[in-house]
Amino acid sequence: MVRGRQLLGEAGMIGAFRRAYASFRGFDTAGSAVPAMDGPLTPNTRLDEARVIGQFAGIDNLVATPGGLVGSQGSDILALSDTGAARILRSLEAPVSCLAASADGTLAVGLDGKGVVLIGGRHDGQRVTEAAGQALICPTSAAFVDADTLIVTNGSASLPAAAWKRDLMTEGASGSVFRLSLTGGKAVRLAFGLAYPSGIALSAEGDIFVAEAWRHRVLCLPATSAGLPTVLLGQLPAYPGRMLRRAEGGFWLALFAPRNQLVEFVLREDAYRRRMIETIDPDLWIAPALTSGVTFLEPIQGGARKKLNQLKPWSPSWSYGLVLRCDDRMRPVESYHSRADGHVHGVTSLAEWDGQLMIGAKGSGVVVGLTIGRARQAA
Amino acid sequence: MAQNDTLVRLRYRFLPDHLIGELLSKRWIDNAIPFIALVAVIAAFGSITPDFFALSNLSDLGRQVAEFGLVVLGLAIVVVSGGIDLSVGAVFSLAVLFALLGVNVLAWSIPLVLVVTLALGALCGALNGVLIGYLRLRAFLTTLVTLIIFRSIYEIAFLHFSTALVSGSVDSDLWDYLGEGSVFGIPFSLLLAVVIALIWHMVLSRMRPGWRLTAVGGARRSAYNAGINVRRTVFFAYVWSSGLAALAGFLFAARLGSTGSDTGIGLEVSALTAVVLGGNSLGGGRGSVSKAVMGALLVLILTNSLINFGVTGPVTSMILGCVLIGAVFVDMRWLKNREKLLSKVYVSPTYLSLPPFPRTSDPGSPYALNDKLRTVDIIGLGLIEGPEDVILDRDDNLYCGTRQGDIVRFFGPDHTRHEIFAHIGGHPLGMAFDRAGNLLVCIGGMGLYQVSPDRQVTKLTDETNRSLFSIVDDSRLRLADDLDVAPDGRIYFSEATIRYEQEDWATDSVECRGNGRVICYDPRTGTTRTEIHDLVFANGVVLASDGQSFLFAEAWTCRISRYWFDGPRKGERAAVLTNLPGYPANINRSSDGNYWAALLGMRTPALDLAQSMPGFRRRMARRVAPDLWLYPNINTGCVIRFNENGEILETLWDLGGVNHPMITSMREHKGYLYLGGISNNRIGRYKIPGADPNWCAVDSYWGKPA
Repeated sequence: MVRGRQLLGEAGMIGAFRRAYASFRGFDTAGSAVPAMDGPLTPNTRLDEARVIGQFAGIDNLVATPGGLVGSQGSDILALSDTGAARILRSLEAPVSCLAASADGTLAVGLDGKGVVLIGGRHDGQRVTEAAGQALICPTSAAFVDADTLIVTNGSASLPAAAWKRDLMTEGASGSVFRLSLTGGKAVRLAFGLAYPSGIALSAEGDIFVAEAWRHRVLCLPATSAGLPTVLLGQLPAYPGRMLRRAEGGFWLALFAPRNQLVEFVLREDAYRRRMIETIDPDLWIAPALTSGVTFLEPIQGGARKKLNQLKPWSPSWSYGLVLRCDDRMRPVESYHSRADGHVHGVTSLAEWDGQLMIGAKGSGVVVGLTIGRARQAA
Repeated sequence: MAQNDTLVRLRYRFLPDHLIGELLSKRWIDNAIPFIALVAVIAAFGSITPDFFALSNLSDLGRQVAEFGLVVLGLAIVVVSGGIDLSVGAVFSLAVLFALLGVNVLAWSIPLVLVVTLALGALCGALNGVLIGYLRLRAFLTTLVTLIIFRSIYEIAFLHFSTALVSGSVDSDLWDYLGEGSVFGIPFSLLLAVVIALIWHMVLSRMRPGWRLTAVGGARRSAYNAGINVRRTVFFAYVWSSGLAALAGFLFAARLGSTGSDTGIGLEVSALTAVVLGGNSLGGGRGSVSKAVMGALLVLILTNSLINFGVTGPVTSMILGCVLIGAVFVDMRWLKNREKLLSKVYVSPTYLSLPPFPRTSDPGSPYALNDKLRTVDIIGLGLIEGPEDVILDRDDNLYCGTRQGDIVRFFGPDHTRHEIFAHIGGHPLGMAFDRAGNLLVCIGGMGLYQVSPDRQVTKLTDETNRSLFSIVDDSRLRLADDLDVAPDGRIYFSEATIRYEQEDWATDSVECRGNGRVICYDPRTGTTRTEIHDLVFANGVVLASDGQSFLFAEAWTCRISRYWFDGPRKGERAAVLTNLPGYPANINRSSDGNYWAALLGMRTPALDLAQSMPGFRRRMARRVAPDLWLYPNINTGCVIRFNENGEILETLWDLGGVNHPMITSMREHKGYLYLGGISNNRIGRYKIPGADPNWCAVDSYWGKPA
């Protein structure tokens, strides 16, 4: 598989020599050069200009249900209104790591570190804690194929979703995708060995699109059985997360944190990375983040030093806000940014609701709304 | 882990890898490769050739070096000017023929023959010069054509006069002396060539015509724009080239007294090989006499030794050709990659281990967080850029430097009006008033300056004593930073780093080596001496209460120390504050007899860890763009008040750096604290609760004026 080929390419004597020579000359063997944001990804400030629906610290998992817009905040499930009012629908025993709604209003709720629980509908109260012999401890996203079939991504085999940063910095690649039958059928593992699958969407043709965050790409999996994934969209300049199929065709893709050349460098510096993970609080690592600039203990980079009291929008930053509008094969068409000096960072969830795209920025704790009509006009 | 760290520390203490970058940044490093090659060739052939170092061999070699060296020197002049002269060989042979003709056949006097031969050479050069310099023909093609023409003239004339040349004879002591004579065993022709080479060395490296020649070769258009007469410069380069070739031909004629059909054939290739092998760039603008001399020696020793070993002429030429190709290749790679290599290896981090820093959240921490500096009054918003230091005079006027090179004065007491008090040109950093009321200023990149109350700007010093073993020129002041004046008038000022210019000061934080120092300027004698060496980004300096010592800050080691320059403890050093949570900048006195210090940035755990892993930072400096390097977090401002016993009395913060992201200086005056920052566009004014509303720093230190 993809992972296997990569391993073969890097192992062995020749690989060692190649790495040593590349290390001497400073080549980029790992393909770790961060692509520039240009073309459809040319930076703008549209996320910062979007209408603010409301401030909710740690808002995540926005999803449109037949009953209204739902999101989560910690271990609470909230019903949100257009005016920014929020009402707690249900409190659960663990932080909610993903939400999915079926056409009949059933909610699939990912409980971080525990599994998936269903609320409402025929399967109300059903819990899935393991699939195909593996514990579902990191349900990062889910999607209903039909009322009885749920596809879940398990980001990591060993770490909960809250520890995503550790998974990245330890070069985790233990994620999988499962197809769960809610009527008692067998769970099927559709893919494994993924580097943090973090978002899922079903294409109009029935293919499964999975965002593989740590490899900065979106994969296409065959719908029913384990097979070879193909790369739909690669070399992204940020880590892709949740995806949403647009009512009008095509997809929305949220990228929750930016790639950074220094992070890519640290990922290759094993000794430093080990000591950093051992001794430093994850919020203060050299690592991507959902939000940054919270404390002066965070590391900063040369370009992020304030000059004349200004933080430049093009500064290198640990966090960023980025939403892509893609066509039906995940090719980017248009992008919405909140740059280094912006205030809609760490977008983790998207929902189309009431003629608007609701954008949940978990990092900044804000929900903003984009009128979809404007997006159509711009296209 | 600890043992591992010890190894790393020792490795970085005893292997000074920053010297590689400093060596590479020297201009003379270009000579290193040809010099090493020359030594290797002499060693190799000297050991395998019998009688290589014998006097007769050396004397003969010396005469050949003189003739060949003059040709190479001429060609090198043309190459430095950005051209090429392939006709040197033909001019050489013409000169040989003409000299013999004049002496043997026409029986002219020797000096006349010399003058006419040189004039002939100059004429040939002038032809090249007019065609290339004034008519702007391509140098390569033009000199190729003149090579053929001059050579044809030689062939025709040689056929015509060959019998006359052989039959004629001369009996002149002067002629013999030129060919055979020596002074103290040194061949006369070699002495002559050495003198000419020395003169040209002076011209090329020290004098206006040489600099113009180099400028034309380096960038023709820029040289033209700078007002240099490009055409004339190029013209004279060819005249000199052919003139020197003609002189070489004259000496050759005097030595051998005969000529043949093959005289001067292939000389241009040998000379070109020598020029390039010595390290003169074929692209022009980079070359020197020493390179030409080294190249000439290399080629001569190589060819002579090959002939000694019985290698045939064509094979020697082929070997020479291969050497030329190799030299051109190395020259091209070196020129292309030298700057790249330098930029990769210049930043050379070293080991720095700091204990875990005090947490501001600890109960009872003297650094407890507050937002006292968030709501300060703001002075000069948007009017000034980069007030690194601020100072107030007795009349409440506020002075600050700007990155445009001005000292701006805000008029007291409200500081709403301002004027440019003085323009100096460099970014003014630390400031102090002396007893007479002169403003003393450290200027980044320039040195220590004085501005009198009537705005007269005087340079006090811009250099100090050069240390014995430094490779970078540490006599020049690169980044004079902060200063204070001792009661006797001596000025102590810090220089943050000797390895980086003002604009790159933050790059020094990647190194953390003791690149800084404290220097003393004594106005009584006008002398400047380095007082303390090897400080890690020496920054703030303030005289202590005893008048015999000063406190100074070292930024990257997060330390404030005290140094006695006088009195019984003279020469001693003691730590006052260690392990600060940030990087200390300027220090100044407070009204209660203590000190204020600004922390220009805060420590971050990720950077502290990196400081103890120099290999990590070195690779970062090589592989990651500078804007993406890890730096101290200078986006938060902080000021501390402390006493000489090392107790923190108060801490003022601007969390998030809304008003003052990076505070590099603060000055107390009449109950207020004025804040400056090297990258800010404003000055802050903070009302100090309970401070003496009449305290003026100048009066308190120097006393009230009578």
